Amino acid sequence: MAAPCNEDPAKLEFSLLVPFPSAREATIALQSLSPDREPRKGGISKELSILGSAMSVKWTADEARILRVSVGSFLDHLALVLETMEEFGPPLTLIHRK
Amino acid sequence: MTVVIGFEGSANKIGVGIVRDGVVLSNPRRTYITPPGQGFLPSETAKHHRGVILTVLKEALQQAGLKPADIDCVAYTKGPGMGAPLVTVALVARTVAQLWGKPLLGVNHCIGHIEMGRLVTHANNPTVLYVSGGNTQVIAYSEHRYRIFGETIDIAVGNCLDRFARVIKISNDPSPGYNIEQMAKRGKQYVELPYTVKGMDVSFSGIQSYIEEAAHKMLGSGQCTAEDLCFSLQETLFAMLVEITERAMAHCNSQEVLIVGGVGCNLRLQEMMGTMCKERGAHIFATDESFCIDNGAMIAQAGWEMFRSGHVTELSDSWITQRYRTDEVEVTWRD
Repeated sequence: MAAPCNEDPAKLEFSLLVPFPSAREATIALQSLSPDREPRKGGISKELSILGSAMSVKWTADEARILRVSVGSFLDHLALVLETMEEFGPPLTLIHRK
Repeated sequence: MTVVIGFEGSANKIGVGIVRDGVVLSNPRRTYITPPGQGFLPSETAKHHRGVILTVLKEALQQAGLKPADIDCVAYTKGPGMGAPLVTVALVARTVAQLWGKPLLGVNHCIGHIEMGRLVTHANNPTVLYVSGGNTQVIAYSEHRYRIFGETIDIAVGNCLDRFARVIKISNDPSPGYNIEQMAKRGKQYVELPYTVKGMDVSFSGIQSYIEEAAHKMLGSGQCTAEDLCFSLQETLFAMLVEITERAMAHCNSQEVLIVGGVGCNLRLQEMMGTMCKERGAHIFATDESFCIDNGAMIAQAGWEMFRSGHVTELSDSWITQRYRTDEVEVTWRD
């Protein structure tokens, strides 16, 4: 939800929770999605973390316009990572455990 | 045996190639072709790549007859190139590397061209002319770097050709450069264009705007044909490239030239470079479109060399970069 940020009421906050079958898959997605920095220099920041077997993403932004672009492109990237995991997964370590 | 899979998608081609110890096992590719008069833009190009990348990856594995377990390293283009297409390809490379438990390796696109050219032609220590839609460089190897002896100070030679193709609405299928090359064969008169060699460097943007204006004036009044302009543009641009390549060869005492990059498959450029080489008693090496034009195997081949000499890229360092100079990479795999 886009809502005023707790720490700085002038900023917008957006949070996303993406469930995965296990923490392993959530970690793979996080490590695939986190290396590239935001293209613009200021005005937006994004934090990715693992919560149980889910990936949590939190944005804080100065303007809704910038937030929309960043969230939109993140969701596109996420969809590609999920599709890749579906077609070329499951992760090796999970197969071994079975 | 070392098997490396390479992902390339820095411009309008998306390719996945697999190389095992100098043998290309598979190298499927798709090209994003835009209508005449239009270039390829970052977000549309990324969308194209995104739509086909998993299919191309499957083809690469199938054609090579390999399972993910047979692969030793996942290489991908770190840069230079267009941001959005680079990210699309890097996302898939990072994900499969983790799924398959393989090391990841970010490759400089230009180094990919050079290493593929060396593999295919067996050129030993050539002076390299790297010419494409985004890059124009004369490169020679020295002391563990591919050093840039000369380069464009504005747009790439391929960009100059592509933009001219757009002005006179030449088809982008299979590529604007290929169609200019065919039309140039039917050119009958040479239209004089600016010739802009600046020491070891070249400049193309002035030629591009000059010919754009000339095209509007001269084609309208019937003073020359589109074929004449294609011919004149090629002769001028390629003469400039041959000049700076020859100077770099003289400087390095080199007897070999290797032409790589998309423009490198232009036979007229190869012919002009061949004439210069003959006069100097030097040898020219060039490859066909399957390896000159961007492809996955070139990233796999550079990745193979890098991986064997101990390089890997941590996931946290695997960000893509639109600017990445050829001489930033330490070449640890050559003496």
